[in-house]
Amino acid sequence: MARQLAMVIDSAKCMDCKACVAACKVANHTPEGQWRNWIKLDDSPPRPGASNRKARFQPGACMHCDNPTCVAACPTGATYKDAETGEVVIDEGLCIGCGNCLPACPYHARFRNAEKRKADKCNYCPERRSAGLDPACVDTCPTKARVFGDINDPQSEAGRLYLANKERLARVVAATDTKPNMFYLGDPGPEHWAGEAVIPASMVALKQSAPLIKGIVALSGLGVLVMLGRQLLAGSGDSHSGSGPSGDKENTDA
Amino acid sequence: MPRVHKRHDRSDIFIHWFNAACWLLLLLTGVGLIQNPAIDPFGSGYPEAMRALVGGGANLLIIHEVIGVVWILGFVLYLIVNFKGARFFLGEVFSVSPARDMAWLVRKMVLMTLGPRALKAVGMDPELPDQGYYNMGQKAFAQASVVGGVVIAVTGLIMLLSDRALGSGASGLVGWSVTLHFIAVGLVFAGLLVHIYMAAISPEERPGFKSMFTGVVPDGYARHHHRLWWNKITTDGE
Repeated sequence: MARQLAMVIDSAKCMDCKACVAACKVANHTPEGQWRNWIKLDDSPPRPGASNRKARFQPGACMHCDNPTCVAACPTGATYKDAETGEVVIDEGLCIGCGNCLPACPYHARFRNAEKRKADKCNYCPERRSAGLDPACVDTCPTKARVFGDINDPQSEAGRLYLANKERLARVVAATDTKPNMFYLGDPGPEHWAGEAVIPASMVALKQSAPLIKGIVALSGLGVLVMLGRQLLAGSGDSHSGSGPSGDKENTDA
Repeated sequence: MPRVHKRHDRSDIFIHWFNAACWLLLLLTGVGLIQNPAIDPFGSGYPEAMRALVGGGANLLIIHEVIGVVWILGFVLYLIVNFKGARFFLGEVFSVSPARDMAWLVRKMVLMTLGPRALKAVGMDPELPDQGYYNMGQKAFAQASVVGGVVIAVTGLIMLLSDRALGSGASGLVGWSVTLHFIAVGLVFAGLLVHIYMAAISPEERPGFKSMFTGVVPDGYARHHHRLWWNKITTDGE
């Protein structure tokens, strides 16, 4: 089975310290005012005596979905799902920052990097991983709420947690089911914040016009073939140059 | 009566072949930049092969952008060198005499595909109305090339500037540029197929094809194919 890098998060362990948010920002030099990850707070915080509810915090970031709507919104394949690792990757050299993928993410995990002017999001810290380290947010988490790894590998910690708790793992539910690869153990906290994947109107127009454009080109090509066929079978109809077949009595183009 | 008539300036010939070379390269690299199953013009395989050839999609994008800028600069240079020629060209290709030119276009299309019998069968005269400096087919493709070329250049520049100068507020503009770039190229390419056939493969326009190298056309060709222009130059002088 191919690898699927993912996060398994025990949100009960999260205490909203935001060390993961700070560590990510430092590791990835995210511009001021922009973040690759977050901790969502329950919109109804617990009040003394009102109920027995606990504080609920939900760490998150790009969920490297199995059905990545951001990839479907990208015209060039600058955003793609890596078949080897299951990551959703941004090729910064190919991305021109058109912004199509931003509203296509129902979790708002993407933003346009204000300095690079390109799409940006969590990439599981490839620089750190190639040095044998965990992503910055995972490494820094004091309670180890965030666990990262290949969930298809039973030997990895993420895989072990994933397989042991498969029945009760929760995902964030969005209006568009993107099959996110971010799993929450037990109570995932806030539920109804994710939206709908919106493909921008220009991209919808591009997709809808593509078959029409192909049809027009095909029609033109067909016309050329018919003309070529006629040229080869019936002669060119070029009387005055003297090159046409002498038997071409239909010749009128002169 | 001269045996040949001057039809194209050296700068005209240069811009024609320069444009042809740029379009070919831009088309080959540009189609390789589209990698979305819903749009990919040739189906899968081509973008991957093209990217592998140049060492990745990022390189392909840079190559496409460089050729695109060179293409635009080539036109700027042409306009500086031969503005008069460009103005003459635009004046000729955008002046359409509806009755005469539409009759020419319809009859020519039937003649080229079905033959004169088809025209006679529906009671139409297979004779083609006289044409001027350009015939209606050439005018139609020239109009598509000019309008399409401007759209392609402007949307291309917007995309070029997207990750170099434009802020996030321009994402709608850039998104629509991607779409318009694709549509304009598709439509001009459809016309280009017919243009290449008519000019380079069909023997009928062979003297016209040769004039794109020599700059001159034989008197007989001018008289038969561009009668109104021939009338003008033989009475007024060239």
